[in-house]
Formats: sequence, structure tokens, C-alpha cells
Amino acid sequence: MIPSPISSHSLPRVDALGKVTGQACYPGDITPNNLLHGKVLFSGQPHARMISMDLSAALALPGVVAIFTAKDVPNNEYGLIMPDQPVMVGLGSSKPHSDVSLWEGDHVAVIVAETELAAAQARDKIEIEWEQLPIVTDVREAMKDEIILHPWHGSNILHKYQIRKGDMAAGWAAADVVVEGSYTLPYQEHAYLQPEAGLGYIDEEGRVTIEIGGQWTYEDQEQVAHALGLPADQIRIIYPAIGGAFGGREDMSLQIVLGLAALRLQERGIKRPLRIIWSREESIVGHHKRHRAVVHTKWGATKEGMITAVSSELILDSGSYAYTSTKVLGNAHLMVTGPYVIPNAHLDSYAVTTNNVPGGAFRGFGGPQGAFAAENQMNKLAEKLGIDPVELRLKNVLHDGSILTVQSPMPPGVSIDQVIERCAAEIGWGDSNQLSVNGHQFSSIQSLIANPQSLCHGRGIACSFKNVGFSFGAPERCEATIALHGQREIERVVLYHGAAEVGQGSHTVLKQMAAAAVGVDISQVELVMSDTATSGDSGSVSASRMTWMAGNSIRGAAEKALAAWASEERPAKGYVRFTPPPTTGYAEETGECMPNFAYGYVAEAVELTVDVETGHIHVDKVVCANDVGKAINPMLIQGQIEGAVVQAHGYSLMENLWVENGRIRNPFFSQYLIPGIKDIPDHVESVIMEIPDPIGPWGARGMAEMPFMPLAPAIIAALHDATGVWFDEIPLTPARVVAKLREHGIGG
Amino acid sequence: MKVSMTVNGKTYTRDVEPRMLLVHFLRDELGMTGTNIGCDTSQCGACTIHMNGMAVKSCTTLAVQADGATITTIEGLANGSELHPMQKAFWENHGLQCGYCTPGMIMAATKLVENNPNMTEAEIRHGLEGNICRCTGYENIVRSVKAAAAQMGGGD
Repeated sequence: MIPSPISSHSLPRVDALGKVTGQACYPGDITPNNLLHGKVLFSGQPHARMISMDLSAALALPGVVAIFTAKDVPNNEYGLIMPDQPVMVGLGSSKPHSDVSLWEGDHVAVIVAETELAAAQARDKIEIEWEQLPIVTDVREAMKDEIILHPWHGSNILHKYQIRKGDMAAGWAAADVVVEGSYTLPYQEHAYLQPEAGLGYIDEEGRVTIEIGGQWTYEDQEQVAHALGLPADQIRIIYPAIGGAFGGREDMSLQIVLGLAALRLQERGIKRPLRIIWSREESIVGHHKRHRAVVHTKWGATKEGMITAVSSELILDSGSYAYTSTKVLGNAHLMVTGPYVIPNAHLDSYAVTTNNVPGGAFRGFGGPQGAFAAENQMNKLAEKLGIDPVELRLKNVLHDGSILTVQSPMPPGVSIDQVIERCAAEIGWGDSNQLSVNGHQFSSIQSLIANPQSLCHGRGIACSFKNVGFSFGAPERCEATIALHGQREIERVVLYHGAAEVGQGSHTVLKQMAAAAVGVDISQVELVMSDTATSGDSGSVSASRMTWMAGNSIRGAAEKALAAWASEERPAKGYVRFTPPPTTGYAEETGECMPNFAYGYVAEAVELTVDVETGHIHVDKVVCANDVGKAINPMLIQGQIEGAVVQAHGYSLMENLWVENGRIRNPFFSQYLIPGIKDIPDHVESVIMEIPDPIGPWGARGMAEMPFMPLAPAIIAALHDATGVWFDEIPLTPARVVAKLREHGIGG
Repeated sequence: MKVSMTVNGKTYTRDVEPRMLLVHFLRDELGMTGTNIGCDTSQCGACTIHMNGMAVKSCTTLAVQADGATITTIEGLANGSELHPMQKAFWENHGLQCGYCTPGMIMAATKLVENNPNMTEAEIRHGLEGNICRCTGYENIVRSVKAAAAQMGGGD
């Protein structure tokens, strides 16, 4: 069948009416009759063993209905990639070692009461005696294994990957120049505006039901079912409106405790819904972060600018529990050499357990840490070789069929060269007279006008590639069902799909794709979304995969539904479980594998001004060239680029999570600063390129993570252009910038 | 304590604890959940409402301070089924993604434009300094406010 075409159309969001009128229902807005309220007690202990717990004072308070602890959890363990975390730390658990808290955010009790206030007061009356255990918070200390945090694992090295390609001795011998760098990357907090909240109850069919914001209904279902010891079909997950995610809702927050409480309450004859809403402080303490990382790496190149060898050691602080750390590590490991042909490579990457907040999924998923090292190395190589950074990249970038460090060829559709060239052209690369220096006030304090002599201007560039879809052999799938209603003509199309609408616009784009696939007007399409009772397994909204995977599943389902329609079935239904080409995991010794089936490509150029007296940086302009394959909804894409650039801007310049002795010290927006409207680049230019992915739906690629990745190294390059100084650590807070500039005798 | 206030044109009287925040009064007492809570520390502005003609963060206002006040929330901004130009502009210009900051953003922006329909872009940005958005990167929000201002009588 020849697929029907799709036209680029910035269809206004299908969920916008509710969002502009206040009618959109986020989990914390759901207020059924007879509602009970809950609170979660965190351990507050980065490493301690529970000796005793006394609930009597808490239970005696008026309005307290029940308190559930470790002993109430049927199967007291969970985890997205391995069940290494107790649902609740405490005594009488069904699993060994779960009397030990490894993280201040470990749950120890869920309190159910008639009011939120009563639940909070009861939480504060719970008395616990802890035996303090020594904490490990530094990754290199942890790697010595003097204190093992997970006894069953036997080592704090959660996972190690290595790549051995070519002949390193020959690679170094062929190098005319070598650049060595050590980079330090910070945590980043997701800071989605809607703190975690959810509702738990038993539905009309007796299922344990949880309404919550997540990224993958079926994964939530599986983890809740595992912990409660129930079959999956006894668990129902519903996503109402979700207030942002960015990877931060990929792991469990309140899902299991809500399900547990609903189940146990029913056993006590209490069939009432329970709602829990986290404060901002609970949200920041209670969920994972972008991994902090250290990378030491060495790159060699010929004087003509051809890379000959790369070695690296990359270490992620994966914190107390695995979350998605091994997967994030896999991405960082692949991307630490950038989108370049590396003939000889010796790469070691580690995810290391500590008593810090867990690291996990966050837009880019390990890519930004890898890209930071790779792109800084390329810019330093360019300087050392006296070759233009754009030209140096074009000499080394991947093409169709290029062999990766993991010794498999790139899938067709590689466009990184065109993306770099377009980005360079749009910013006027090579013509420094075009540097956009505006009359910005610089300081937000009107009376503090910068001394013009202390302002320096610079420009920098960086690029990245990022996988679309699950990598390294993780089972990939996406289900879709389409029903065609009508008699002689198709009057109505219903799409049943699991894709989570976290704000990115997936529901809007899925509706556009369903209309195109069936060949009807968008107004004829209805969506039934994100409820395990009605829609299939879509996989997660992550890895920039949903447009790509859902588009392919929708096309398949539409084709089947149209065939059923032709054979007079009414309503005509089509179901597809789409699976993309397979991938494979890293081989243990060499790292050989087929890592991914599709990629997206991006390049960013930055122009900035730095006040060398104060260390303040102002970004004047960002050009982002992003190959999206096919722009199904250009305005949504532009929104993803602008949003990703500003998130990366925060990561590069201001977001500064303070973690000390395993505790987050600034869990508030008053202390952990994310970009406000006056902190952002003056101008973000989105250059949307459409070079089709040969196996993407209508040629589309994934695109939402890519614009995050090259911004930090592009800013570093621009800062070097402005000052002559290389910075190897972010965020570039004024204090850090000033200190380093003074070391080089600049300013002061 | 007894408080009485007019919210979206209707008068409500309730007996509340003196420490109750206005945002909790709106959400929990009146069931108007369009006004969101994002931070608890008055940074994010998701809870912005209009009180006696001013844009106010309802998480930093006690319900008792609003005694006798006239309040408009996001639920009361539209004229029946006719959306306010600011609501329409946010929809048409993709001024939102997850939508959680949107009610506060719209309420803050509406008051800004009412006060000065001919704002420069810099003035719009300055006026929205107290509202945080994590999704959009703000550019489409500024575009939305400009479009709404043109509809609301700006440019003449």
C-alpha cells in the first residue's frame, strides 16, 4: 500500500482549551467524594539501619485512618531495570536488606487520614530509631568498595561498559597533536511545574487503580503489580493531564504507595479513594536527577585534522538505586566520542552506587554528559591544530555506513554534515563582523550598568547525534488500535493509544498522523488515550521516540483497519504491535553491538557576552539546526527546540543543586534557580531541517532531546572565544567564571 | 474565622482557619482547581489570580486577607463560552505545553495588558518575571501576549 501523505501543519494543540480555561485536570485536581488524604514519610537517612518504629502516637491522632509500612508490602521491591529498591524501608519486610535506608528519599510510611493536615501531623508523630551507617558520596571513594552499599551486588560499581576498537598504540603514533581534558558535569533537577500527585482507588471492576502523571502506563502497571504481588490486569493506570516530565516521571514516585494503600484499605473494608500531593520540596528530594558525571578523555589527531584515537574514562554517580542508570550509562558511553569516525578507541564507562540522590532519565539520557566531553575536545583540537571548528567537524563526522566505535555501521539517513553546515551558515560562521552584540542592560539591577570595557564577546559551535527509540537490545514496541465507524463513508476514526501527553504535544501529533494514515480530516479523529483499561502498550514517552514509534504503529493499524473496512467490517478495526529493526547490547570485552535503529542530528551556535569583572554571562543568540526528518507540526517542534535550549541554558549557566553528605540542601525554587523569562537567550533561532529518516513515519525523526545536547559545549566554546580561557565544569555561575578568569589574570 | 469574597462574580462565605492560604481556599473550599500550586515559595506564579484589580500570587495571600475582595480566577476569565483574547492567543500561538503554568501566566499577562496595551517586548518580559515556565522557553508565551495585546486594543 502507498501510504497517504501528511502535510506539515501547526495544528493548535488538541488539549489547549482545558489548559487555557483551568478545566484541564491534573492528578492533584481530582477530588472525588469521600476522599482520603495521604502523606509519605521519607527516611531522611542517606545511610542508616532502622532499629525500631513506633506508630502509636501517630495512630492516636484524630482523623488518622491507617498507616502502612514495609511489612504491609506484599513484595517489597521495585525498580525500572532491576528491583533493587524497597517500596518502603522498614522492619518486617518480605525482602532482605530492606531495613536499611540508602537515600534520604527512601519511603518509610504512607499515612492515610481524613484531612491533609491530619496526615501531616501524624507523619510528624512517627518515632523511628536509626543506627547510623557510614555514607559514601564520592564516586571514586565508592569505587574502592570499602563500604558496599548493596550487599547482594558485591560492588558499588553498578555497571561498567568498555569499548576496544583498533590499535591504540598505532592511533597515538599517528597523532600529531593530542588534547587531554577532564570534565565535571552537575546534577540537574527536572523542575516540571506540577509536583508529583496522584489518586488511588479500587475501580468498578475491582482493579487497583492509580491516576497519576507518568511516562509509560504499562511500565507503571508492571511495577505496581510486581510490588503488590497481583497480576498486571488487576492494576489499572490512568494518566490525566500531566504537568511536564522530561524523564523525571519515568520511574515510580507515588504509584506503588497509592496502589498499596488502596488495596490495604479495601481489605479493611474502607473503599474510599486516596489522594497524595507532594510539595515542591518533596518533589525535589523525592525523585531522581540528571546524573552528575566526571569524564577524563584524550583525543589524538593528525595535523590535517583527522582523529586517530580516543581514550576516555566516564563515571556517572548513579546514587543509591539503579533507576535507569545502566541505560543512561550506555548512551553516555556511545556519545562520549561524538558523531565522529574514531578509528581507534579505548573507552571505559562506569555507573557507581553512592548514598546520593539517584541519577536517572532526563532529556538527553546520558547524551549531554558524553557530548560535553566530545564537543569540548573537538573545539580544543581545532584550536590546537589551527583548523576552523566547523571544518574540523566536517572532516570527521559520521556518514551513512560509517563504522561506529562499537564496530557496526550507522543506519542510513545520516545528516550531521548538512546540519552543521546549515547551522554555520545561519549564524554567519567565519564572519566575526556579524557577531550580534546588542545593547543589553546586562545586569538585571538597573543601577549596576556594566563597564563596557569589561564586556567580552564570543561565538562557539557544537553538534550532537542522539538515538531515537530504545537502544542496546531493550525490547522495543508500540501498539495502536484504530476503529473506523460509519456505514458507506468513514464518519469517525477512533485511535486507541497509550502515548503519554506530558506537554510535548503527542496527542496533537498522533491525531494528525491518524487522520493522514486513514485519509480523513483531523476533525473526524477521536482519541482514547493513556488508560491501561482501553489502550495498548505504547512504550514510554522518552528517547525522542513517540512520534517515530507511534507514527509507524498508527500507519500499520490504519492499513489493517482500511482492509477490514474494504471487507465490509463495521466498525472496521485494525490493531498493530509495531517493532522496529532489532538492536543489540554491548559485547563485554569489545563493546561491539548494533546500538540503535534511528538517530536525530543537531548543531548549535552561540553568541554571548561575558562581563569579566563580575563573571556574568549573557547569551545574545542561539541558532539551533535540528534535522527532524519531517516536520508534522512545525510550531510544536519550534516549541520543543526553544524549551530544550532554555533547559540546557539553565544546565549550563545557573542550575546548581547542592548535595552535601547525601542530602539535598536547596530543594526549593527559591534556592535551586531555573531560568526565568529574563535569564534566557535574547534570541533562539530554530532552523527546522527535513532530511527524511528512511524508516521513520513519513520520514520523521525524533527531535525533542537533541537541542538540549550541544548547547553547553557551544557556550563553553563561545566563552573561550571571548576570553581565551577553557572552562571544564558547569554550571558557569558568576563565582566559578570569575575565579577561573582571575587564575588567568583576567579582570579584577 | 468567617471570610466572604466574590469569586468570578459569585459571593462565597466560609469559616476557615486563619492560616489558610487563598490558593487553598479557592481549590479546596470552592473546588476551583484551575489555579495551580507549583512551588510553595512564591517563585513560580502558577497560582496567580486577580484580586481587587491586581495580579496576585494566591499562595502568598491568606484567605482572610481576601475578606471582602473581588477575585477573578482562570475559570472566570472567559465570557461564557467566549474565550478571553489572552486565552485564545495562548491556544493559537502555542503559548503552552504541559499547561501547568498557563493559568497563572494568563492571569499575569492579562493584567499587564489591561494596564498597558502598548507594551514593548521588553516590558512584557519584565512583567512576566514572576512566572516560571519549564516547557516552552518563553518565546511562544511572549508571542501569545503580543497577539492578545493587539486584540485587546493595543497598537492604537
